[in-house]
Amino acid sequence: MRPGALPRLRRDILLLIALAALYLGVSRMVENSYYLLMLTLVPIWAVVGLSWNLFSGYVGLISFGHAVFFGLGAYSVALTMNWWDLTPWLGIAIGAVVGAAAAVFIGMPTFRLRGHYFALSMLAFPLVLLYVFQYLGYQEVSLPMKREDPLLWLQFTDPWGYIVVAVALVAIAMGISMAVENSRFGLTLMAIRQNELAAEASGIDAWRWKMRALVLSGAIAAAAGGFYACILLVVTPEAVFGVLTSAQALTVVLFGGVGTVWGPLIGSAILIPLAETLHAELGNIIPGIQGVVYGLAIILIMLLAPEGIFWTVRDRWLRGQVAPAPALRAADADADAGAARAEPLVPPAPHTAAPLLEVEGLSKSFGGLRAVDDVSFHVAPGEILGIIGPNGAGKTTLFNVLNGVLPADAGHAWLAGEPITGRKLHAICRLGVGRTFQVVRSFPRLSLLDNVLIGAYGAGLTGEAATAAAAEALERVGLLHQAAQPAGQLTNKGLRLMELARALAGRPRLLLLDETLAGLGHEECDEVLEVLRRLRAEGMTIVIIEHTMHAMLRLADRFVVLDHGKVLAEGAPRAVVEDRSVIEAYLGKKWLARCST
Amino acid sequence: MTTDSTTATTTTRRGALGLGLGAAAATATGGFRRARAQHPAEVKVAVLAPMSGPWARAGILARLGAEMAVDEINNAGGIRALGGAKVKLVIYDAGENAERAKNAAQRMVAQEPDLVGGEGAWLSSFTLAVTEVTERAELPWLTLSYADSITERGFRYVFQSSPTSSAQARQTLPTILELAERATGRRPRRLAMIADNTAAPQGIVKPIREGEAARYGLTIVVDETFTPPLSDATPLIQRVRSARPDFLLLLSTAVPDDKLLVEKLNEYGLGQGRLPTIGNGGHWGAPELAQVTNPQILEGMMFTLSNWPGKGHEDLNRRFVERTREPWLGHDSLLPYANIRILCEAMERSGSADRRKVAEAIRSLDLQNEGPALLFPSRRLKYDERGRLMHAEMVTCQWRGGVPQVVFPEAIATAQALWPRS
Repeated sequence: MRPGALPRLRRDILLLIALAALYLGVSRMVENSYYLLMLTLVPIWAVVGLSWNLFSGYVGLISFGHAVFFGLGAYSVALTMNWWDLTPWLGIAIGAVVGAAAAVFIGMPTFRLRGHYFALSMLAFPLVLLYVFQYLGYQEVSLPMKREDPLLWLQFTDPWGYIVVAVALVAIAMGISMAVENSRFGLTLMAIRQNELAAEASGIDAWRWKMRALVLSGAIAAAAGGFYACILLVVTPEAVFGVLTSAQALTVVLFGGVGTVWGPLIGSAILIPLAETLHAELGNIIPGIQGVVYGLAIILIMLLAPEGIFWTVRDRWLRGQVAPAPALRAADADADAGAARAEPLVPPAPHTAAPLLEVEGLSKSFGGLRAVDDVSFHVAPGEILGIIGPNGAGKTTLFNVLNGVLPADAGHAWLAGEPITGRKLHAICRLGVGRTFQVVRSFPRLSLLDNVLIGAYGAGLTGEAATAAAAEALERVGLLHQAAQPAGQLTNKGLRLMELARALAGRPRLLLLDETLAGLGHEECDEVLEVLRRLRAEGMTIVIIEHTMHAMLRLADRFVVLDHGKVLAEGAPRAVVEDRSVIEAYLGKKWLARCST
Repeated sequence: MTTDSTTATTTTRRGALGLGLGAAAATATGGFRRARAQHPAEVKVAVLAPMSGPWARAGILARLGAEMAVDEINNAGGIRALGGAKVKLVIYDAGENAERAKNAAQRMVAQEPDLVGGEGAWLSSFTLAVTEVTERAELPWLTLSYADSITERGFRYVFQSSPTSSAQARQTLPTILELAERATGRRPRRLAMIADNTAAPQGIVKPIREGEAARYGLTIVVDETFTPPLSDATPLIQRVRSARPDFLLLLSTAVPDDKLLVEKLNEYGLGQGRLPTIGNGGHWGAPELAQVTNPQILEGMMFTLSNWPGKGHEDLNRRFVERTREPWLGHDSLLPYANIRILCEAMERSGSADRRKVAEAIRSLDLQNEGPALLFPSRRLKYDERGRLMHAEMVTCQWRGGVPQVVFPEAIATAQALWPRS
């Protein structure tokens, strides 16, 4: 459970129960069988939307192929009923299992792909199945009519029965979505969505979490498909595997709001009746015009509410209101921080001790370019080592090799005597190497605390311990008083500090900071430097890449200068910046000549 | 719910209007007051077909056919057994997918409580979904869709006015062979088949492959399946040319594929009847096929289907062309026309606008050479207990001078089949 999730969850569940009761109550009063059918379809498409949101909304990999799960669910019900005279209740359960299994098979090859490539490959799966089911001769599978036991066969004579089942299905899907969103699971998925690399650098095994999300999402979509088959009573490949089905899943979420459990509900409650009403009212006058009006309506709303209705309305609602700082949480955090101080996690160590990080002969080439060439250095515990060098000197590549983003071609690195070369990114993180990136990745809508929590989860902490670690990290960078604020409201400096806190929340022994001071003003820069010095005073070991030379001179204990992937110079800051070869590398020979005269 | 209450009001308003009209009529006709009070002023029948989306053309043709039937009945005095009640046609759009079709059916059932019966929804998957609704509403439903599954569900209110898919598959080969023998005096021996992978064509080629061909002494020399839409017909037609068959079954399901295939046949010198080529389905007789290719290319092309206006339908065809400006009355308008005629015939026979009684009247129809039976190639009209048309015969047409002509069965043929003797 995420901190602060409980009251939110309680509020959401109460709202959900109230809405469900209202929906059932209102629909009970409706007698027109057509409106009852509409009232059944709205929750079904909401479930499909929730399923899509659970994967694509949180993980950020857009799926154009959710019809694959939907269709498998629908066919599971139709075929088991025809083959074995099985009740659709079991059929839906089987469908959910089939959907989950399909998710594993689909995830395995496709998770290698990112962005558009993933979206396109997902598009292929339902199209393939469409032809497979056609080939197998299941062009039109109808569910046998059962005149007895309506509850057993899900063939109610009173259409309200379908609404009850549909609402129950939504409640289950909402329950799952809320549990995910408010837990470590959801936060981890959002971390992957923001920056998979950063998430892995925070110790998260992205592949496994994505797979879990897809499996859950596939099972839910399949259950919805299974129930849909009971409504439509005839299953055709085009109806369940068609592109329109996948598009519908995506549209209701984009329209209602991505990344929130309420989005799909809102989208479905508006779009499904809208499309149908247009079809019913306009289609009789000018056939086909309903599609044009529907498209225009979507375009208009997407222009006015580009993030979906939920977020736009919420932002407008909350505008001007400042979230009250949760006193309780701050007090908790203080207590936790106190506990942390009582038992220091990073013992201050004298500079004379054995080196914390040893690097020997590290090399990395991209084709003919030797980005890191036989680099050796060491970092003593409690030291701040500045890595400087002109653009393209190989500084970031060195970091990438050190924390496992890239494999080394040659050489070794040890952290406190443990070899770290050859290990995976998240494993190195768990050994105690924290890292920040050149470009800050934050979750603008999440609170600072949630942003930092991801680092704590990545380090394998859970529950209270994770919250305590996150609060402590925030305190160390001086952001605790802003813990409840959404990250989107932070300044650039705040974001840099937040990212630092995220790295700290994993309680690392060594911090690799990549251009933490980039883009900061003079005073902001001083404030961040102050935080870094304080960290050193607490015993943290830091390796920092930086271009801002004047800041580095004030911060670093020692410099390592890289040029063309090689160590050019190494030593005390003053000595290094006066080194002729360093000046030449930075400013060129002409400048050097001018300096000398 | 606001929408609900609005509809309730409109229904009431409409009802009140109806009542008012009825009352006015009753006063005007004075002595017939009692008779009027028992009979509705109008009876509603529905056409539910795709009026928008990719199959809109089929829906439009269905509407044209049904409208003609309704106008003709009304001009001849309405339903006489119901005191001359006028027939009112209501149109519902099945849209572009099965869900839309089902929604439309539900809307129709909910908003037209006094509907007597209807016809549609052209595409068999739509019909399957629609009839799940009409069956529960006990609404008599007639359809030209021919998937076997439509009448395999034990439904009591569905009537299929075409030979089923499997019946068409069984009839296709013997029909063609008989036609060839009549035209040339000898039986063909070598068969080529090109079919797309959708249900209807596969339903035809599968039994042929699995024994029918052997039973009729045929050797299959080409047997090709393609996935529509076709991008290039060259390899398929090349194979046909080199195998030198006596005739070719060309089982595509859409006009774009038809066009590619016939044009390629022409290009290879096999077109215009040189290689007897037989398709299946109403799309082969669509005027737009002649528009996208040209009449010369289509000359001699044959196709089998469930119904087509032939001898004795000249006047019907003329009336249709006059009122619609369509080039001719085809399968997709003829059957809706026939279906509405059958519904009204059942109302006449049952003397009722009660949907259950009308359905019972359809079940007990047994007509020969009279009424709506004249609209079928066998000149007979009787449905079996599953709702399937009995004695259903297929029609074979051939493109002649830019117009499809019936060449088989002989009773309704308007032209002699062109089948080269070589």
